[in-house]
Amino acid sequence: MRTLFLAVITVMLVAVGAAEVVAHHSFAPFNMESEKTISGTIKKFDWTNPHTWIWLDVTNDKGAVETWGIEGMSPNYLGRRGWSKNSLKPGDKVSIVVRPMRDGSPGGMFVRATLADGRELRQTGQAVD
Amino acid sequence: MRSTPICVLAAVLTATLFAAESAGAQTAAAKSAPAAAEWAALAKLPDFTGVWEIAMGGGGRGRGLPQGPALTPAAAAKRKELQSLGREDNQTANCVPPGMPGIMGQPYPMEFLLTPGKVTIVIEAYTQVRHIYTDGRALPDDPDLKFHGTSVGRWEGNALVVDTIGFSPLTEMAGNVPHSDKMRIRERFVLTGPDTMSIETTVTDPEVLTAPFTTTRALQRHRSWTIAEYVCQENNRNFVDEKGKAGIRLDDPAGASRK
Repeated sequence: MRTLFLAVITVMLVAVGAAEVVAHHSFAPFNMESEKTISGTIKKFDWTNPHTWIWLDVTNDKGAVETWGIEGMSPNYLGRRGWSKNSLKPGDKVSIVVRPMRDGSPGGMFVRATLADGRELRQTGQAVD
Repeated sequence: MRSTPICVLAAVLTATLFAAESAGAQTAAAKSAPAAAEWAALAKLPDFTGVWEIAMGGGGRGRGLPQGPALTPAAAAKRKELQSLGREDNQTANCVPPGMPGIMGQPYPMEFLLTPGKVTIVIEAYTQVRHIYTDGRALPDDPDLKFHGTSVGRWEGNALVVDTIGFSPLTEMAGNVPHSDKMRIRERFVLTGPDTMSIETTVTDPEVLTAPFTTTRALQRHRSWTIAEYVCQENNRNFVDEKGKAGIRLDDPAGASRK
């Protein structure tokens, strides 16, 4: 497996400047002070600009299935850092750490994911040639 | 000669295409095609060609970051007023490109192309392009206002020095800092190693700044990379409303553009 480098948002902020890393939009909709771990089954993975979107079916505490939308960096950015459109496939069991939406809706910003086989996905800061 | 009509047709077609492409732009006087010597002369210039990205740990806003731009009292008051509105985001969330100078600070690569009399920068973010004319032409006296302004460049030793004027009022100099119509940007592009480049950017604007605002970025060349497609409207779920409130559309995942 190709080595995935550690992606630490704070390092990126220092290195490139907050407004520049965000590039396309601000973090305002997300609670950047908070992390939440959700586990479920991949419904769909949008390998699209300006952001990737992971759609994760999660069973909530009432037993109902809720689909979470999780925003990641773009395919352009991630594709140069070890990801591909096949990094997540429908049916994959996965646990994802997110910065949750401030308004409580089922969504968040991607931080990292752990797959059933233990493989970990991060949004890396270091590009690979 | 049988080929003559085809040549004429090709020339007319080319001229038509060029005219269509540059309609409304500042156009150079008609001139002949570059001679072989002009192409050959490119080999003597510093080799800026290829795909570059801001280097992690080596970029940043340099000298500009801690203090930011030194604002005139009027500009400082304007920034305070804009900040007090609590705007959470700007129009880039709606896929409007940032324009200059922000477009040069994106976390995406850009490709430099050198052709006779011109440097072209193909910018992956928002699928943008900058046209920098190095054929000796002067900046226009009364330019149309553009997101990237109008640029001319010249070679000073090993540096490419680019002057740009005429920016759209839809762009900002920095966050919550609008520019006036007198903003000028000078960029100095220098190779600092086999695959490293420095871009020093100096912004002047007598109505907004009390001193030039200079930032420096380091870029890394990635020889194996190519520029990727970036259509911001493909699956944009972010938005900002007219009051500056930022939001995200989480609706209808099944209807997203890729299944």
